[in-house]
Amino acid sequence: MYSDLIVQHFGDPQFVGDLDDKNIEFEIGNPVCGDRIQVHAITNGATIENIVFRAWGCATSVATADIFCEQAKGQSLEQLESRSENDMAQMLGDLEPSQQHCVSIMVALHRRILAEASEKEVTHEL
Amino acid sequence: MFDNFIDQAVKLGLDPLKIAVSSAGELFDLPEEALDQFKLRIIKDAFKFHYEENAYYRDACQAKGIHPDSIKTFEDLAKIPLVPIHIYKSNESHKLLSVGLNKIELEMRSTGTSGIPSVSRRCSDTIDGAVLSVYAMYREFFKIAKGAGLYLCPSTEEIPEMGMIKALNMFAGLLDTHRFMVKNEQFIPEQAVEQLEAWENNFTRHIIGPPFLINRFIRYLKATNKKIQLDKGAYIITLGGWKRFSGEMLSREEFNQECIEWLGVSKEQIRDIYALVESNVVAIDDEFGEKHVTPFVQFSVRDPKQLDRELGPGETGQLAILDPMARSTPGFILTEDLVQIMPGESKSGRSGQRMQYVMRLPESTEFGCCAVNLDKQLDDMESESDSACPVVS
Repeated sequence: MYSDLIVQHFGDPQFVGDLDDKNIEFEIGNPVCGDRIQVHAITNGATIENIVFRAWGCATSVATADIFCEQAKGQSLEQLESRSENDMAQMLGDLEPSQQHCVSIMVALHRRILAEASEKEVTHEL
Repeated sequence: MFDNFIDQAVKLGLDPLKIAVSSAGELFDLPEEALDQFKLRIIKDAFKFHYEENAYYRDACQAKGIHPDSIKTFEDLAKIPLVPIHIYKSNESHKLLSVGLNKIELEMRSTGTSGIPSVSRRCSDTIDGAVLSVYAMYREFFKIAKGAGLYLCPSTEEIPEMGMIKALNMFAGLLDTHRFMVKNEQFIPEQAVEQLEAWENNFTRHIIGPPFLINRFIRYLKATNKKIQLDKGAYIITLGGWKRFSGEMLSREEFNQECIEWLGVSKEQIRDIYALVESNVVAIDDEFGEKHVTPFVQFSVRDPKQLDRELGPGETGQLAILDPMARSTPGFILTEDLVQIMPGESKSGRSGQRMQYVMRLPESTEFGCCAVNLDKQLDDMESESDSACPVVS
């Protein structure tokens, strides 16, 4: 069954959309049959100014994407980097065994946005 | 006649649909007109439920000017607004729910060539109906309660949410033993032969899986010139579409001939199942190769150029499914499959609709289910490692 947190973020997601002026864009997921999450973000210096997503997959993965955006918006990249995997798991609350793969999704979202932001910074420096 | 039965059942606190599901065989014996009247009542009740509980669907109905009171006759069922199947793939598929997410017990998926999963969500009532209905149909058309199943597909342990595997796995519950022969995305046909030999003279052996994988197994048998003689009561059961990821269509006729020659079965023992993860319906071949639709579900064939126009038996059109078992989402689905409803009476004497699959809608941007991706994975694996599946080309 789904926790109230997952029900809320799946049923009424606040961060669904696209950003025309995005400077970060990436997609994570299993290309064969798994969940897919597409993220658009705008960074201002080392801060995530705006972030949205589109997701295809199970309810928990959709909610995970929404929770990630909620917890990333307005945060610095340093704050995101300081989160442990345990912190990220706690952001999703209680999960059933069949929903636990969404912890990996949350971790992947963090790693990917940090990698994308870092690449942008390197490109900018060059 | 059925209105009284349904009203009485409801008064007693019973679910008339679940009662009907457990009487699938008896429904197939009803006169056509009586069966149509029964379907009218239960589909109409399901439409009223979704109209009242689902704001997204209600808005769509109101935009079309359709209200539950608009459905009075069996012919009126064609007026029920349909949910195009691509909405199950959209990132707004949560709007399809007629119950809260906290009532959803199971999410199942199917993924075609686009890689975007179609996610269908089922509540407790929907699962009750689907499980009873699928087993009732398996019993009606296979009359099986024992035997061994050689599953030429991955296990539900490897891909637990895949609808096709879930439906085939239910069949295993009727058998004494079974084994999944695709593991870690590898199919080793020698192991399949060994397993069939180990079961010989102990169990009636059935082979179950998507057509392309059974076809792959037969290619191995041909390449090694090994013929298998399955048992008298054995079945070759296929589910999952006849088009390969490469776009190549498998010919049913050729497939049957090869099963007869290389697996030692007769044509009556080869049975195909049509199913969709978004729906709770299965249509199963009888002994004459006629595919019978679950008797309490209505298949409505539409003119693809004018979707509100219902076509008659024998005419090819786009399949719409009116499924009263779906409670979590409106079970009124416009598929992307072209089918025909077979005219006349069935050879087996069963009432109800019989369907013939024609092809995927040419405009459809993708095709296939999880079987298509499995087909591709196996081909990719074979390209990478020649030793994975020797000889077969």
